[in-house]
Amino acid sequence: MPRFRFIDASPGSTARRFILSGAGWFLAATLIGLLAAVELVAPDLVQSRYFLFPRIRPSHVNTNVFGFLSMMLIGAMLWAVSRLAQAPLWSEKLGNCTLWLWNAAVFAGMVSLPMGYTQSHEYGEYVWPIDVLIVAALALLALNIFKTLERRRERLLYVTNWYAIGAVVATLAVYFLGNVMWHPLTGALHGMNDAEWAWFYGHNIFGVWITPLALGLCYFWLPREADQPLYSHTLSLLGFWPYFAFYMQVGAHHLLEAPAPGWLKLIAEINSVGLLIPVYAFLANQWLTLRGRWWKIPGSVTLKFIFAGTVMYFFVSTQGALMALPSEQRLLHFTNWTVGHAHLGLLGFAGFIACGAGYGVLREMYGEFWSSRLAHLQYWFMLIGIAGFTFVLSYAGLVQGSAWRNGETVYRVLPELVVPYLARAILGTFIISGAAIQFYNFLRTIYGRAPVRMPWLAPEAGSLDAVAGG
Amino acid sequence: MGMTPRMVGVGMAIIASATAWSVLFLPGLTAPIRPSAIARRLTPLEARGRILYIRNGCIGCHTQYVRPSDWGLSALRVSQPGDYVYDQPHLLGSERTGPDLSQEGGQHTNDWHWAHFRDPRLTRPASIMPRFRFLSRPRMRALIAYVQSLGGKMADARMARQNDWHRRLLAAWRRGEDANADFLYRRVPAPWRVLPNPYPATQAALARGRFVYEQECINCHGPLGDGNGPAARYLLPRPFNFTLLKRHPWSGGLLYYQIMNGITGSAMPYFKQDLESAKIWDVSNYIAVEFIGKNIDSGETGSGIPAAREPAPPPRP
Ligand code: HEC
Ligand code: HEC
Ligand code: HEM
Repeated sequence: MPRFRFIDASPGSTARRFILSGAGWFLAATLIGLLAAVELVAPDLVQSRYFLFPRIRPSHVNTNVFGFLSMMLIGAMLWAVSRLAQAPLWSEKLGNCTLWLWNAAVFAGMVSLPMGYTQSHEYGEYVWPIDVLIVAALALLALNIFKTLERRRERLLYVTNWYAIGAVVATLAVYFLGNVMWHPLTGALHGMNDAEWAWFYGHNIFGVWITPLALGLCYFWLPREADQPLYSHTLSLLGFWPYFAFYMQVGAHHLLEAPAPGWLKLIAEINSVGLLIPVYAFLANQWLTLRGRWWKIPGSVTLKFIFAGTVMYFFVSTQGALMALPSEQRLLHFTNWTVGHAHLGLLGFAGFIACGAGYGVLREMYGEFWSSRLAHLQYWFMLIGIAGFTFVLSYAGLVQGSAWRNGETVYRVLPELVVPYLARAILGTFIISGAAIQFYNFLRTIYGRAPVRMPWLAPEAGSLDAVAGG
Repeated sequence: MGMTPRMVGVGMAIIASATAWSVLFLPGLTAPIRPSAIARRLTPLEARGRILYIRNGCIGCHTQYVRPSDWGLSALRVSQPGDYVYDQPHLLGSERTGPDLSQEGGQHTNDWHWAHFRDPRLTRPASIMPRFRFLSRPRMRALIAYVQSLGGKMADARMARQNDWHRRLLAAWRRGEDANADFLYRRVPAPWRVLPNPYPATQAALARGRFVYEQECINCHGPLGDGNGPAARYLLPRPFNFTLLKRHPWSGGLLYYQIMNGITGSAMPYFKQDLESAKIWDVSNYIAVEFIGKNIDSGETGSGIPAAREPAPPPRP
């Protein structure tokens, strides 16, 4: 095994390390999640203030979003960008710096949130110093991506690259504005205005960060694994620009029941339904790419994960569009239904695609991963976990919503939720098993197998890395 | 069409700025929000409590806005934009694992909150809210002050009423438990004091009453109904000792009235939102039979629990 270097300049190291870190955070975050789920059934389980449900909940959420999903998706995206450019990453050293900044931010967040350092906006809980780390890392990432693309040998800019650029540019803006970073102490504005800004951010951290990265990776992996060119480039245009144009406007659909201006809610509702156009365009494009090749799905771990991800994307988006209608909100807002939707989107859609892409990258780097049986096992664990989660949480949401509509108080409905809460905690262990299998499999692959040589990765003479090489 | 990195970047910047203008800046510019009739600034103590509310993640389980379709605790008033002008950050919340708190101020006395934050299961046996007993005394005081300010000027009015009654109840309490029982009796409107329980104390009714008692009352009034539940040591006046009523006038209606409305100024909460009317009558029957040991309404006198559970004698021809 080569000596560990903090800043590793060897080709592919940034992508590999991002993916491995993401897999590690996945395990950490889901373990925190399990504790949170158990505490909803057994509230007196822990004594320590640092492990109380309300303090670890944001830690679980942010470690998943910024640790697991962001890092695995970034790693796979960097690989895809450099692969498509037929050129190595512009600077692996810079990439490694980005990696450590990002890891530092996630670690600081995971620890500081339970200690009570929070800005209290959902998904924007990180305090200002962590926000600064993230923005700095994002800026470095953008630089690396743009520079790599400048040196691309393949002139045509493939769809995956559009999403990579779109995601980093839009997220830089959204993160800075949404976290109100010019107010370091509070990270907030006043009153309803603050809520509108916070949900602009809270929605777009998925809309312009997590989801585009995942969509871009679908465009990259699905045609390759199916061994068939992308069905239509026109459809991919239709799936791209309207997607961003619609998505950024819908933040207020989280405030449909709150005293926000009516026209703002109307914009959010219309755009939420309109969003189905680019979503379905994307899905049609992917699924038509698979025509005649469906038989390939069971054999390839990557394709399995990614195809399941697209299916869940269909469900979560269709569900989301319905959820943005006022009549649905009246029944299900504030309930566990939303929690089910969030898990279906983040774990079912983005998480599955991140895992599929992560396995894909490792297979290209090492020829094969350590155990493909374990990888298939992980797929089934995670699929059972997320399907069960969605069912159980939606059921809990319907119970809560219909009881409240009938005038039951929140307290009186609590006993009805014991069974779904318990089932949810049990199903969580499936997802954790998946995360553990994945982390182990990645570790064994990276530290147990010799990387294969890829000619297109060889640093060009005169590039930054050629000198340091390693 | 061939896309270039610059094109994508510029296109994205255009979309982002157009969106920021329409959904971020425009709402603030077009609809400047003035404080509503109930909004007020927090006192320094309450503001410290608000920080504790944020740092302890209460927002993960509690919302602070009421919709037109809501029932329950805070549904006294539908929230308006002007209610929030002084909030930074906003604490609207998105999940109701616990009840909405926008009108929480003055719903309970401070000692109820004290016991509840020490251990929510003390005042609400089936609660899943975590214990916040690690908060030091000054912090607990600040958190309670904040919770009691929720609802703005409406909360202030409720608090004034709570404090006023609290003084009177304490005075009655200090005069001894019989004087206290007497005082509570006289507070109940006369028609209720003579109203019998309209439901017979059948075994089924008593079983239902017991279920309600265990879900709502047991940790204050105690398993024996003597007011010595585990919450009692945090509360003053202490939870009522039902066995006292063996030597005082009472009726099913009196119990009903007290349970429905609670006793303002004491930790005794009102149950008119948690319990439907039939459930309140059932738990009254349970208290009467189980703790007071007789059921005056059905004309029976029992000597303790077993006798009272006997089925009513067959009607005389
Ligand atoms: C796990 C979710 C959870 C968390 C976290 C939580 N609560 Fe609660 N809370 C509940 C539930 C459930 C209830 C209803 C049962 C009860 O009264 O205990 C409740 C009830 C309450 C009530 C009583 C409402 C009433 O009048 O009936 C108050 C006040 C309250 N919570 C304040 C807080 C504060 C302040 C915090 C943070 C320090 C907090 N809660 C954290 C779940 C939670
Ligand atoms: C948080 C603690 C608490 C809970 C929970 C509680 N009580 Fe009480 N209750 C009290 C206190 C304290 C008093 C006495 C106030 C006083 O003496 O001024 C009281 C008084 C009463 C009285 C008045 C007796 C009289 O003669 O006027 C009745 C009846 C009563 N409670 C019934 C119930 C029932 C039934 C429940 C459950 C549905 C219940 N209480 C739940 C604390 C509680
Ligand atoms: C067409 C697509 C989608 C629409 C219209 C949509 C709509 C909605 C709506 C209306 C809510 C608010 C529910 C409520 O508060 O009652 C919501 C919540 C949420 N959505 Fe989506 N959704 C879509 C897709 C997605 C995707 C793909 C993801 C994940 C990548 C996602 C993640 C979330 C999360 C995490 C929440 C929870 C927010 C909270 O904490 O309250 N959504 N969505």
